[in-house]
Amino acid sequence: MLFSSITFLYYFLPVVLFLYYLLPGSLKNLWLLLASLFFYGWGEPVFVLWMILAIVLAYIAGILIETYKKSTKGRWIFILAVAGSVGYLGVFKYADFFMLNLNQLTGMNLPLPGIGLPIGISFYTFQIISYLVDVYRGDAGAKKNIISFALYISMFPQLIAGPIVRYTDIEKQLDHRQIHFYHFGNGISRFVLGLSKKVLLANPLGEFCEIVKGSSDLSVAYLWLYGICYALHIYFDFSGYSDMAIGLGKMLGFHFIENFNYPYISGSISEFWRRWHMSLGSWFRDYVYIPLGGNRVPMGRFCFNIFIVWFLTGFWHGAGWNFILWGLYFGVLLVIEKFWLGGYLKRARIWNHIYVLFFIVISFVIFDGTDSGRLVYYLKAMFGGAGLPVISKELLYYLRHYGLLILTACGASLPYGKKIYMRVKESFRDNKLFEVAESMGILILLLIVTAYLVDGSFNPFLYFRF
Amino acid sequence: MNRKNKMITYIVSLFFACMFLCSVMHQDQEFSVSERRPLKDFPSVTLSQIQSGRFMTEFEDYVLDQFPFRDSFRSIKAWIEQYVFRKKNNNDIYVESGYAAEMVYPMNEVSMKNASKVFRSIYDTYLKDSGSNVYFSMIPDKNYFLAGEDGQLTIDYSIFMDQMKDEMSYMTYIDITDTLSIEDYYRTDSHWRQETLPDTAEGISRQMGSSITGKYDVLELERPFRGVYSGQWALPLEEDSIVCLTNSIIDRYHVYDFENDRQIPVYNMDKAEGNDMYETYLSGSLSLITISNPEINTKKELILFRDSFGSSIAPLLAEGYSKVTLIDIRYIPWQRLDQFVDFNHKDVLFLYSTALLNHNEIR
Repeated sequence: MLFSSITFLYYFLPVVLFLYYLLPGSLKNLWLLLASLFFYGWGEPVFVLWMILAIVLAYIAGILIETYKKSTKGRWIFILAVAGSVGYLGVFKYADFFMLNLNQLTGMNLPLPGIGLPIGISFYTFQIISYLVDVYRGDAGAKKNIISFALYISMFPQLIAGPIVRYTDIEKQLDHRQIHFYHFGNGISRFVLGLSKKVLLANPLGEFCEIVKGSSDLSVAYLWLYGICYALHIYFDFSGYSDMAIGLGKMLGFHFIENFNYPYISGSISEFWRRWHMSLGSWFRDYVYIPLGGNRVPMGRFCFNIFIVWFLTGFWHGAGWNFILWGLYFGVLLVIEKFWLGGYLKRARIWNHIYVLFFIVISFVIFDGTDSGRLVYYLKAMFGGAGLPVISKELLYYLRHYGLLILTACGASLPYGKKIYMRVKESFRDNKLFEVAESMGILILLLIVTAYLVDGSFNPFLYFRF
Repeated sequence: MNRKNKMITYIVSLFFACMFLCSVMHQDQEFSVSERRPLKDFPSVTLSQIQSGRFMTEFEDYVLDQFPFRDSFRSIKAWIEQYVFRKKNNNDIYVESGYAAEMVYPMNEVSMKNASKVFRSIYDTYLKDSGSNVYFSMIPDKNYFLAGEDGQLTIDYSIFMDQMKDEMSYMTYIDITDTLSIEDYYRTDSHWRQETLPDTAEGISRQMGSSITGKYDVLELERPFRGVYSGQWALPLEEDSIVCLTNSIIDRYHVYDFENDRQIPVYNMDKAEGNDMYETYLSGSLSLITISNPEINTKKELILFRDSFGSSIAPLLAEGYSKVTLIDIRYIPWQRLDQFVDFNHKDVLFLYSTALLNHNEIR
């Protein structure tokens, strides 16, 4: 089920919230778990059983790891459980990719398994792995209550597109959480803002990108505009989802970590990755990069660690060579920044931002380039290598058609609007009229989003495939 | 801060609760008048439907179709698109000078090839050695007149028409673009208005060696006509009216519908009460009909391969013929036509709108 669907907004959510607040505390988790399984089963009726199996096995593994913590047996159980989780992800997400490449490499013609990709598998598998590692390291105790544990893995706000919530961050809230008007109202605002990002900005930008990809009137500027719009599209799509997840969490009494912090104002690629998909970045840092030795190693080893992490980051995003290339592309940029460019970027005032935006736009063209032939052509064409004209009739039309939307999206991707709003808010502190206006603003946004949902059909979430 | 969050909680919760209750209690509608389409019913609940996920997909479609105040929400969206984001179209519909039109873009060469291939096959099978005079004409869609004025994205009509003419060079081309202007079309619909067509009909007839009176009585229907674009545009548009042209010759036509094996009126007033009032003309989309004109001495017959535009011009063209056979090959396989139609020594006109030729509807 999509957050940005009428079914979720006007059927699922009201019923879930109403009963959640009606039920006594002891039953809240059970109700939330059932609602989450229903939420997942709505889109993936068969895969919900696989998720339940993964949860049960991780639950047992957690208890066994804790029981045999300091023994060889414990270590083997841990290795087996983590390998099982990785294998589970590998089979469902990468089997076709491996088989396809094996066939191409060997000339064999083995049939592709054709296993469907359960949505959100990469997210909940990473949550399971982080739980197992935390229990093994002794950073967290194994969860004895299976309902609370299952809820941690399957909680619908963050189940299918993150943020990747660490067990240690949420452990206490699973059993003891306070629900307050402040949080609930705040959660509603955050949810509606996220929904608006998705429906009013990300969806039409995505539509534009699809138009460019289907166009027979390409030009150099048109492709650059596509790159910019795709970068904005993916940002609003994913950060919108994260906002909705965080907002829903607040409405239910949970506090999830932030996932985005205006990444497009970054002055370097390393800063960009501290602001973009923060929960994934910190996951790879804590569970892969630091265990590999981090940066306190010789230069060769450091580069190796970086490339491993970025290979995995790319591969995590999708079973395709473009995703691997995308990950390694960032690996290369980070190494260059570390050993050469970092100092210049710190001193620069404008050029560092231009540098970041330039490489980010290119990166998202690679990210969207699931068709390798088209990807090469686009990259070539963007730099004038495909003989395309600089501008085209279609570009000029769509510039006028989407111009205001693109400008709005550019503005909304920067923190200045928020800063101005906070200043205005401060000057109207405790002004009841301003508060009424703010509340009505949220309602109006919700009405507008509903209007778009009722009328529109273009609504996929990008990060569901990860 | 707390007060504001309380306010948001109350307002939004109340809104959710109201919308939930409205959705549950809302009586399902069968048909959307504004969009001219049947709305989805509640899907059947079976284990296989649920296992396959079909129930969920159909339920999502169902709630979208049956959402309370659906048309009002669609209007809100259209308003935001038009006046806030200043978009050039809404769902590919734009309005210029009070006329709504659907974007025809890009030029679909596959569609053009498909259509000309079908026309060629019909020609080779039935017409080549039949002694018939074969004509081809294209009706420009509204973009032809409107798109340039507003900088809308549109196909290059001169290239499009030249390409089609080249493909159909074995037929005599009749150019009707100079007899038409945007005023000859409905404001809210894709079609042309019959009351503006006498000049065009006369031009076509003249080039086919026939003649028409050009003198008509005007019958304007009382009910206002909201064409196909009114609903799609979702914002207010000035209404049109349906006007039927009659005279003593047209009044005596016999119209026969082969599809349903029945006589039908030239102007079907039952259809005038329906969802698409344009169907008043010759009862709308029918695969094969004939108009017999007992008032004329000649034995000349016309075979008209047509789309829906043909329904309103055919009664005018029929004045010059003893019989007009209207064939819509979208609804009848052309390979079966010889069972119903004699193609020998006739005038044959292929009359199609550019929008249809570009839309891959003939293949």
